[in-house]
Amino acid sequence: MHRLASPPNHKRRVLRVRGTDVTLLEEVRKMAVADLGIDIEHESLDFLTCQHLAAVDPTGYDVYEQCFHNLDIVWYWGALQPIQTDRINQWDHIGDLAKDGGISKYTWQGHGDAPVRKLYVQPDGTLGQQPMPTISMLPTAHNVDSFGFDRRLFGDEGPEGSSWAWLLDRRARGRIALVDEPAIGIFDAALAAEANGDLTFQDIGNMTVDEIDSLMALLETLRQQGFFAGSWVTPDEAEAFIQTDRVSVQSMWSPSYGNLGEMAGIFRESVPREGYRAWHGGASLARHLEGAKLDMAYDYLNWWLTGPAGALMARQGHYMTNSKGVREYLSPEEWGYWYDGDPARCDLKGPDGKIVVRTGQRRPGGAYRERVSRIALWNTVMDEYNYAARSWNRFIRTLGSSTT
Amino acid sequence: MSARPTTPGQDPLYETISRVLRHNIRSGRLPEGFVLIEGPIAKLMQTSRAPVQASLRILNAEGLIHRFRGRGYLVGDGATSLTPIRKSLEEFGFEIPDVSRSALAVRGTWQRVYDKVEAEIAACQIFGEFRVIETELANHLGVSRTVARDVLSRLNERGLIRKGATSHWLAGPLTARTLREKFELRSIMEPAALMQASDYIDHAQIMQVSAHIESGKAKNSAQLEDELMRLCLGRTPNSALVEIISNNRLLLSAMDKALSDLGLPVDPVALDQYQTLFELIGSRQIDAAAAYLREHLRVLSFKSVARLKIVALIPESESLPPYLTPVI
Repeated sequence: MHRLASPPNHKRRVLRVRGTDVTLLEEVRKMAVADLGIDIEHESLDFLTCQHLAAVDPTGYDVYEQCFHNLDIVWYWGALQPIQTDRINQWDHIGDLAKDGGISKYTWQGHGDAPVRKLYVQPDGTLGQQPMPTISMLPTAHNVDSFGFDRRLFGDEGPEGSSWAWLLDRRARGRIALVDEPAIGIFDAALAAEANGDLTFQDIGNMTVDEIDSLMALLETLRQQGFFAGSWVTPDEAEAFIQTDRVSVQSMWSPSYGNLGEMAGIFRESVPREGYRAWHGGASLARHLEGAKLDMAYDYLNWWLTGPAGALMARQGHYMTNSKGVREYLSPEEWGYWYDGDPARCDLKGPDGKIVVRTGQRRPGGAYRERVSRIALWNTVMDEYNYAARSWNRFIRTLGSSTT
Repeated sequence: MSARPTTPGQDPLYETISRVLRHNIRSGRLPEGFVLIEGPIAKLMQTSRAPVQASLRILNAEGLIHRFRGRGYLVGDGATSLTPIRKSLEEFGFEIPDVSRSALAVRGTWQRVYDKVEAEIAACQIFGEFRVIETELANHLGVSRTVARDVLSRLNERGLIRKGATSHWLAGPLTARTLREKFELRSIMEPAALMQASDYIDHAQIMQVSAHIESGKAKNSAQLEDELMRLCLGRTPNSALVEIISNNRLLLSAMDKALSDLGLPVDPVALDQYQTLFELIGSRQIDAAAAYLREHLRVLSFKSVARLKIVALIPESESLPPYLTPVI
């Protein structure tokens, strides 16, 4: 009788990642586990809980995957440690959007928290855009967002594109939904209010208390006039609003457009003439990491830039900072559709294997460079965030959700 | 000027203080030429400066003390010219008779009540705007409405609450704008106070603070900020300036305290900056120290605005005192 070899006795090392479902995909986790030979635990939380716990429970995770716009909250709470760029193998291949603020010096950076303004760790411990040898967050997935609209009501976009004004358009009264997250939803509403002439903001990316009051008063008036069908927290809820035909226009994120089923041809992603609302994700290191644990976290950060993760991100519409690496892991058809804005030469699958793009479709807004050169503003945690988020949350609580 | 009702059933505070000073002068404890300044007297008697000022005016009218070319008053009727004696009251065995001590102790209770309410009202403001209800405050403290009103008018004087359009007392909200404005005031006033105080700073004490930071004994910046106030800025002869500076700091230190109660860790960069600042002051490089203080306040203002953002994620404290109701 053969004795069975006993299983190897050494314990596998574990890396704990806290973040949101924007980047914490099961497919990403499995690939990283296979490539790095370590165990990875995902803790996927909603945006607000994630920020809060990252700040006040800094030992509960090793890597924090979130967005640059809410990095402030965690950074100034002392929960993270600076990342040395000389330990990031692909640092030189990270695109200019994150490192310089725009893809060329002629493009407008956009209002609000452009990632470069929070990227480099300055000698006084603050974050700024003066290049330094350490950074706060490794820039990874990013995208530009707009809103989704029903062609049956608004028709097709003309040559000038659509306008953010549609999001608060009287024609859609009673069939409008907004995303619940204050650092995002408030800007969808503000862009709409400014586009339709109701309000003007001196700096929409850093509103004053008076401007916030005016915006909230406007939204309250519209709510009383029955404009809103509700608000949503997760993309599933946004999709449910559409599948149950309860909205004609609403805040929308890229991955949802692939999950609309029969409504796919009817509900379209807008290309707003005022420009997009952009966001930039990334990964940061917890303050407590040191020694072998820190090395492991650096391995994981480096892995993010090698390509496979970026390919998964691309299949739900998000871009990666090291697009060169991503290209090797996408089929030419996928690369053509997602990055180059070409019409799809075949049906394309999403990260979970379901078809999200049909042959012949073209990505609204076109190629990467076209889209990211039209950023109106970035998701932002404004100086008056505490004030704004409290007013916003009071407003949101008076709206229903997609399940009510 | 109408006297405010202070301690119910007691003499006005300035009369108690006058009695104590008369006792010490007539008994010869305070010699002729001794310099009387409001600040140290107020501190010793645990009162604010205003009643001490009133009391010194009375003693001056009585001819027990007199004005001179410097700050404060000299003991004596001023008939002969005296060399001012600038020493601490304790050195001359300053005595507070028991009967006055108990009057002051009642007053001390009032002060503690006031301090508690002040801390609560300052701390709530990061969570938004609140109405302060006078009757509830009186019930909560177990005092008369007169006393509650007195507490509120003091809070109003110190800029922590205001009257709304409907005559209700309102507190907050502490916004990024308020924060920035307060820091702007700080960077105008505090470097100026530091320059003025330059000749009155005790350098041995400063070196001691520096040594504390160096050895890691100084634990947080709040403590060092207090030392800066006590040992440096507070030494300026302009007492009105000192008062405005302390009032302006009230909300800011309340916010710091609220944030550290929420778990904000110590900021090592801020500690380093205080170390540099105290070293500059200690080596009498006052121009450089003033410039450095301005820069330190700029960074602090920036960080405070960023730190305030996390409060958005924290629900209003459930332990809000019952006399505060949120204004929606």
